[in-house]
Amino acid sequence: MSLLELNNLTVSYGPIKALHGITIRVEEGELVSLLGANGAGKSTTLRSISRLIPILEGDILFNGKSILNLTAYQIVSLGISHVPEGRGIFPSLTVMENLELSSWTVKDKKKIKHNLSRIFSIFPRLEERKNQLAGTLSGGEQQMLAVGRAMMTDCRLMLLDEPSMGLSPLLVKEVFKVLKEINNSGTTILLVEQNANMALKIADRGYVIENGRIALEGPAEHLMQDKRVKEAYFGKEKK
Amino acid sequence: MEIIIQQLINAVQLGAVYALIALGYSMVYGIIRLINFAHGDIFMVGAFIGFLLAVKFKLPFVFILLLTMFLTALLGIAIERIAYHKLRNAHRMSLVITALGVGTFLENLVRLAVGPQTRQIPAQLSNNILHLTNGIVVTEDKLLIIGISIMLMIVLWLFVNKTLIGKAMRAVADNIDVVPLMGINVDMIVSVTFAIGSALAAAGGIFFGQSYSIEPYMGIDLGWKAFIAAVVGGIGSIEGAVVGSFILAGIEVFTVAYLSSNLKNGIAFALLIILLVIWPYGIMGKPSLKKV
Ligand SMILES: Nc1ncnc2c1ncn2[C@@H]1O[C@H](COP(=O)(O)OP(=O)(O)OP(=O)(O)O)[C@@H](O)[C@H]1O
Ligand SMILES: [Mg+2]
Repeated sequence: MSLLELNNLTVSYGPIKALHGITIRVEEGELVSLLGANGAGKSTTLRSISRLIPILEGDILFNGKSILNLTAYQIVSLGISHVPEGRGIFPSLTVMENLELSSWTVKDKKKIKHNLSRIFSIFPRLEERKNQLAGTLSGGEQQMLAVGRAMMTDCRLMLLDEPSMGLSPLLVKEVFKVLKEINNSGTTILLVEQNANMALKIADRGYVIENGRIALEGPAEHLMQDKRVKEAYFGKEKK
Repeated sequence: MEIIIQQLINAVQLGAVYALIALGYSMVYGIIRLINFAHGDIFMVGAFIGFLLAVKFKLPFVFILLLTMFLTALLGIAIERIAYHKLRNAHRMSLVITALGVGTFLENLVRLAVGPQTRQIPAQLSNNILHLTNGIVVTEDKLLIIGISIMLMIVLWLFVNKTLIGKAMRAVADNIDVVPLMGINVDMIVSVTFAIGSALAAAGGIFFGQSYSIEPYMGIDLGWKAFIAAVVGGIGSIEGAVVGSFILAGIEVFTVAYLSSNLKNGIAFALLIILLVIWPYGIMGKPSLKKV
């Protein structure tokens, strides 16, 4: 049984279909990358899993159970955490308050403390700035906060929507290294990226989505060698 | 000098009532960008609930206050659930129209229930006169009302800034779309906000009714003034609602004392417009990052 299964998922915004029956599986402990050009349907896929948007057809199973009848906030207590596109931090709350809020579903105080010290050891920058308003952080620091917030939810599955967006190459490397560490310590990750090179380097498997359909899938090293992936996503963007 | 201080005490008392109403306007606007034009009428309903409890049950003042705040909080939750909930993502104008409709409904409901005449909440607080220094006098009830009002505001400030639910309220104000991703039920936070706003307005209603008579349309005028105080202070900001309310009350009281009561509203609003020209987002307000 996979941790996450998307079966023939179809989603539309009004009359326009964004996903035409996609099927994706993520096994427990894996890091899976979902690649695709602008408008391919990557964020839509994550938003469907988080139940932020309604689903036309198909099913989503988490841990073997359908989550279609749940609403967005209930998904988090199941163990799914979503770092949205554009980070979605709360700018007028402090760094600490942002982190506190994301532990809303965690009842065990010790666990919260433990998660917090783990986040601060991975991102010492956040600890230095814990009383600063999140809106005054740099883009990279905001991304760290967004990832830190996801860690505070104590999730089994982390969904990340383009965490490299707007970061310098050096910072991208750092964030991806952290994601790999989080994955190594047992959290399953579904990573949405346009930065195919970096995303496949740390991934176990990957999917390529084109116009709302899965165009390619396979082990990350195969995809990295694939001619179509190379043409479409490596080096210059052609699409 | 004594007269100035005397007037200052009056201004603080009036400002406290404005603030208790303005806070609800500001908080609700802050989280769901709704100008709840029914809020002045919720204040009025609160005053009448207090009136009925005082007449029918002769309970001690504190019980009446707490019970009225509780019942009015339920009313606020119900109004949001029934009238506003489904419209949360609708055009703002639909919400404003709905709110005006709810306000009219409440006015007529109360008028139907108790009649259009003005009423007096039976005095429950001692109005013994206290002599402060320099010949300044103040009645005990006035002092008590000011004290409880300020205490309510402090409790609110602590709640919003220090508790997890309060932080969630500020998070909803910041970015409502992301809040569910933290596992937080936005509907619950919205209900809490309406409950708090309505309870404070109810307290304002009871305090107002200790010094003035009440009638079913009293919420219109006071609601408008509190709304304007909230805007001048910076709508969405709790501190702003309080600051704006005391400024408005100060201007009104001193205009009446030194110029003329006929000029009260004219001068008050002229000065408020000037303040808004200086601070377009209100004294403590920030430009909204979100489109409305
Ligand atoms: N709220 C919306 N209303 C209407 N159409 C939408 C909405 N959100 C997305 N779409 C459309 O759905 C399609 C998929 O969008 P999606 O955001 O999932 O793309 P994406 O792969 O995440 O792209 P990007 O890399 O640019 O973030 C696009 O054609 C987009 O225009
Ligand atoms: Mg996207």
